[in-house]
Amino acid sequence: MEKTVVKTQNLVKRYGDLIALDHLELDIKEGEIFGLLGPNGSGKTTAINCILSLLAFDKGTIEIFGKKMTPASFDIKKEIGVIMQNVAVFEELTVQENIDYFCGLYIRDKAQRKQCVEDAIKFVGLEDFRKFYPKKLSGGLLRRLNIACGIAHKPKLIILDEPTVAVDPQSRNRILEGIEELNRAGATVIYTSHYMEEVEQICTRIAIIDKGHKIAEGTKDELKSMIFNTETVNIEILDLPDEVRKEIDSLPHISGTDYEDGRLTVKCSGGSHNLIRILDVLRGRDLAFGRVTSELPTLNDVFLEITGKALRDKEE
Amino acid sequence: MFLHCFRYELTTAVREKSVLFWLVIFPAVLALLMNAAFSSIYDKTSKFSTIPVAVVENSTDLLFRSVMDAFEDNEEPLLKATYTTEEEALGMLERKEVKGIIYTGRTLTLSLADTGVEETVLRTFTDQYVVSSAVISDLIKQDPAMAQKAGEAMSAELDICREEPLTKGNTDPFVQYFYNLIAMVAIYGSILGLQISINNQADLSPLAARKACSPVSKTVGVAASLAAAWLVESVCIVLFVTFVRFVLGVELGGDLRLIYLSSILGGMAGVSIGFFIGSSNRFSNEVKFGVSMAVNMTLCFFSGLMASSIKLVIEEKAPWFNRINPPAVISNSLYYLNVDDDLHRYAPAIAALAAMTLLFSVAGAVFSRRKRYASL
Repeated sequence: MEKTVVKTQNLVKRYGDLIALDHLELDIKEGEIFGLLGPNGSGKTTAINCILSLLAFDKGTIEIFGKKMTPASFDIKKEIGVIMQNVAVFEELTVQENIDYFCGLYIRDKAQRKQCVEDAIKFVGLEDFRKFYPKKLSGGLLRRLNIACGIAHKPKLIILDEPTVAVDPQSRNRILEGIEELNRAGATVIYTSHYMEEVEQICTRIAIIDKGHKIAEGTKDELKSMIFNTETVNIEILDLPDEVRKEIDSLPHISGTDYEDGRLTVKCSGGSHNLIRILDVLRGRDLAFGRVTSELPTLNDVFLEITGKALRDKEE
Repeated sequence: MFLHCFRYELTTAVREKSVLFWLVIFPAVLALLMNAAFSSIYDKTSKFSTIPVAVVENSTDLLFRSVMDAFEDNEEPLLKATYTTEEEALGMLERKEVKGIIYTGRTLTLSLADTGVEETVLRTFTDQYVVSSAVISDLIKQDPAMAQKAGEAMSAELDICREEPLTKGNTDPFVQYFYNLIAMVAIYGSILGLQISINNQADLSPLAARKACSPVSKTVGVAASLAAAWLVESVCIVLFVTFVRFVLGVELGGDLRLIYLSSILGGMAGVSIGFFIGSSNRFSNEVKFGVSMAVNMTLCFFSGLMASSIKLVIEEKAPWFNRINPPAVISNSLYYLNVDDDLHRYAPAIAALAAMTLLFSVAGAVFSRRKRYASL
């Protein structure tokens, strides 16, 4: 049986009248990359801060590695690596000194620490920048330094709170690959983000939270199967007679069609080979069609169907 | 763990440019300007120098001659007389080579072209001479051999026209401004103290939040930060005092080792006050900095940094405030070292600074002790 690394029960956190965490229940297993997905202000960071015992909460319990987490739980903290949303490094220390400082808070042995610092520098690819001060680093490199400071001591549990905010695509990919590598090396990862693509890409299990409440949890496939619409087929077609559209509507697993400006949109609910069956109908009627696309549902669709709103603001 | 934290806290404090500016460059420039302004005033108004005077002898006055001769035996005589004709003397007065012309004769008369301290001394000298000489002249008439002895005695008497200090210390009144400046550098240590609270309270900075997630207790982290800040502040203030004393050449008065001790303890108290201000409230970092600077400047104002008379007014109306106002305690301790022959007033001032350091450090630590925050 898989060990539970982090367990929150009935966690409630209020800011005055605002309920930031509403009876949040999490059960994160060893070896997982657990994604906490939700829009801005949904309570992801509040949950992380409560788990880390930085933030006082009103109700509930938090256990890490089977022990109650408190501000003085130094034996638990020793096994945790934290990468916060905001870059948290000393401006007056170089890249190497920053990593050495934070690593030194966990590891006393100098030789071991030196090796860990080297490993961390290599891991985030900052070998050429070890003598640089943070203000000389680009946004992406700064984020990598932030990560190196959090993981240099090789923790068993790594908590990353939106580590890719304002990061260029190249650095983002490197960060995500790094997280998967850390996981393969044995670390359990909690990853919060409002970027659904990232969560889909790396997380083995995902909890979607909104207004401090967990609204869904499971693997990405489990989450997608929760929604009615499982596939959307788009076909460019200049002329679509009504009887053809009715025939498509009558196919199994078709939940609805829409035809506008030479574009046919077919919503499917479950089933397989839906696209082939639709195209067979069009070919049987000798109808010429152009570009065909098939879209599988995203986590945003899941969120949209459950809450009635988009996961991410349009401008993001 | 303490040493690891201390080492890096020290490195960050040393590399922090604002520390260099507020604790080294700014006070040094201020001291430079103050020295340039005050040294010339002091030279003009307070510092004694021999007064040149022309003497026109209408008739030989043995007593006067012996008085002037006795003056010249001094290392730093009150007057330097040039015996000359009236015409030449007037020329010298016009060319400002002398401050006045003394005419000897039946009675001593004085001619001046200006007003000022030196002219006042000359006037006092001649007035006093006229009174004393009347008595002594009678004695000389009876025994002319008494002229020289009488002259020496009278010279000694007249020499009190020169202002004599009541203390062995520096009597320059402007040295008080340098004491206040040292006190200001000490109290500016609060910048370092404020940074300690910002870097150690998770609700004040991401850096502190990351530290709070580590397995290092808040007490160890804060102690290392305080120790590093105290050391940096001490080095800064020792450099400043050394600069004032040896580069600017300001005679601060008193035992230099004790001056350093006062300054260092004052600086430590300043760091602790900043730490307390940073830890004791829920204001934003910017507001905390503003509050700290406002408190510092207000305390410095009441200690007489901007107007020296303020401290005297407080001493009269609310003397207790001068015993607890850190900048006033620092500048007073330096003043006591300068003017007192013993440490009976200095020792309590030093004890007060040590007590303040302890009190504010403990209070700050209590406020920032290990805790979970209501909001981050």
